[in-house]
Amino acid sequence: MLTHKNQNPQKPARVVIIGAGGFVGGAIAAQLAKEQVPVLGITRKEVDLLQPDAGKTLAAKLRDDDCVVFVSALAPARNTAALLKNLMMAEHVIAALAEKPVAHLVYVSSDAVYEDAANPVTERSICQPSSMHGMMHAARELALRNEVKVPLAILRPSLLYGENDPHNGYGPNRFRRLAEKGEAIALFGEGEEQRDHVYVDDVARLAALAIMHRSTGILNVATGSSISFRGIAELVVALSGRPTEVRGTPRQNPITHRHFDISECLKAFPQFRYTPLREGLARAARTSARTVS
Amino acid sequence: MTAAVVGFAGLTHLGLVSAIATASKGFRVIGYDTDSGRVADIGAGRLPVVEPDLDNLARDNAARLSYTDRSGDLGACDIVYIASDVPTDDRGQSDLTGISALIGEVIPALGPKAVLCILCQVPPGFTRGLPLDSTRLYYQVETLVFGRAVERAMQPERFIVGCADPARPLPGPYLGLLSAFGCPILPMRYESAELAKIAINCCLVASVSVANTLADLSERIGADWHEIAPALRLDRRIGAYGYLSPGLGIAGGNLERDLATVLHLSATTGSEASVIAAFLANSASRRDWVLRLIHSEVLPRKANPTFAILGLAYKENTHSTKNSPSLALIENLHPWRIRVYDPVVPASAARHPMVTGATNAVEAAEGSDAVLIMTPWPQFRSLAPAELAAVMAGRVIVDPFRVLEPAAARAADLSYFTLGASGSAA
Repeated sequence: MLTHKNQNPQKPARVVIIGAGGFVGGAIAAQLAKEQVPVLGITRKEVDLLQPDAGKTLAAKLRDDDCVVFVSALAPARNTAALLKNLMMAEHVIAALAEKPVAHLVYVSSDAVYEDAANPVTERSICQPSSMHGMMHAARELALRNEVKVPLAILRPSLLYGENDPHNGYGPNRFRRLAEKGEAIALFGEGEEQRDHVYVDDVARLAALAIMHRSTGILNVATGSSISFRGIAELVVALSGRPTEVRGTPRQNPITHRHFDISECLKAFPQFRYTPLREGLARAARTSARTVS
Repeated sequence: MTAAVVGFAGLTHLGLVSAIATASKGFRVIGYDTDSGRVADIGAGRLPVVEPDLDNLARDNAARLSYTDRSGDLGACDIVYIASDVPTDDRGQSDLTGISALIGEVIPALGPKAVLCILCQVPPGFTRGLPLDSTRLYYQVETLVFGRAVERAMQPERFIVGCADPARPLPGPYLGLLSAFGCPILPMRYESAELAKIAINCCLVASVSVANTLADLSERIGADWHEIAPALRLDRRIGAYGYLSPGLGIAGGNLERDLATVLHLSATTGSEASVIAAFLANSASRRDWVLRLIHSEVLPRKANPTFAILGLAYKENTHSTKNSPSLALIENLHPWRIRVYDPVVPASAARHPMVTGATNAVEAAEGSDAVLIMTPWPQFRSLAPAELAAVMAGRVIVDPFRVLEPAAARAADLSYFTLGASGSAA
């Protein structure tokens, strides 16, 4: 759950986004710009968090009254090498914040920190990652909690989709791209698995709310409504207007589902509304079409 | 043999109800409390707790009841109960400093043969550690139920008595007192009795957690838990009086206390108690049922609704708001106007920036977009859905405990939501 240091929203002097060039970081930067909050975007060009002096370089860019959003990660972290690199990045951010404590820190983590069977997932669910990626985020969260003396909010998003997603993993983004090209969508098994898909702008809006309220604690970012991959594929095809085939393939892995109980979000931000899936997919498709044309 | 004189030290909910019930069985009773104002109020007939029939019972037995703020007056008693409620914090942990101080005052005042009996909620091991000759020291399980306290005190199912030596006969005056209630008496060692109290509550929580779990599932698969529960009640292994009504999580403080005690003892001793944590997780989830419903069914259709909230107490027939689901909900409705009514609890108990108190349920419902019946007070059962519909601005009734007749709500063209049934089709 989150608690708010600012009961009434208040713009911080400046927000520094570490990882502003990424899918989520870019969306947060755009949201804050829309809300006329001063933003300093930091990408690998400005500070390469894998360099030994990254902590000092980053600290030199920070001010006492900044809110820092730490969203940079080498994702997905599939192996030990990637895990260690991601932890090194966190180590340098921690060093920077030790040298220059700021007013507020928001860390964008992942729902991969929870055990696979934690249904429905809440902020009280046990963290027991089954993937290296989840373990990476869990370790980073722990390090930030223990080693940074700055009010900390942790956001744990579920699966994200949006027009600028650089990944082409199994799910809405790939399905949309296939449908736009009229190519068949192949499901794992019959696509029975249910997941909670979040439009990337919703993460950005929630991050902005957490920033304005100077929130601390943990908040899952999920809509509270899960849908099967087949359901997503059929929705994407319907929105594309093209006669794209959705076909099953022999199942390789057991079916698992993930559902969220989002009561804590309803309490933290009662007036926040998630973008309905159909609307988010349609928006992503429209933006994508504009980009192509 | 002359009837025993019975003392009750600590005139909060438990002590007061127990004292009055004991007087009604023909015993002379001395009620003691350190709070002089409270003693004066009770002596003048202004009882600080709300329980059905309690005022009448106190009035009818006034001749045998006396109240004092002087501990020395307890020297006339054959048996003195330590009967003060034990407060808990937000995590269900007991604060025993109050009753420890009370015991410290009472022991020196006891007559040389008087029995001291701990009636309040204490953790296993507490009684044995008290500085009194064990032949005069007992622990007795209380099973006070808020809203049914008089009935429970007058007609207990059994007495569970913790003793140093269960094989030794109970002292005559104490046995005489217990026998007056005409129910089985079960002596056992102190720790067993202290744990028996907790065991009872754990069983109740287990039942209601099962009901909550399967009511939740019912809501999602088109079943109706209210059709299922009567079938379970006819099963002798479950029982006609089982806690099978789904609710909005554990509240009131006492059940939470006992779960916290088991978790603490489990952590200390290494016993396996993960089911207790599961009960608490289930309770936390169900507590927010109305909040989730409001966000899924009301707010998408009406951006700036007004809510009518009927009931603030944590359950019917009590003034207690400890862990009340209603107050917890209200904390999360700050952006919207609310109108509240409770037959006993004042509107000032609702911490909300835009709250209006009403003098009755229908007045609270006036102009509201949704009526939320958060406490199943008996008087709400007589509300006619058509009457509510006539004064409401919207059409949503959220009635977790099903105090209204679902068919009547449907007939009044209301969208009706209740625990254990899917959608508004209950």
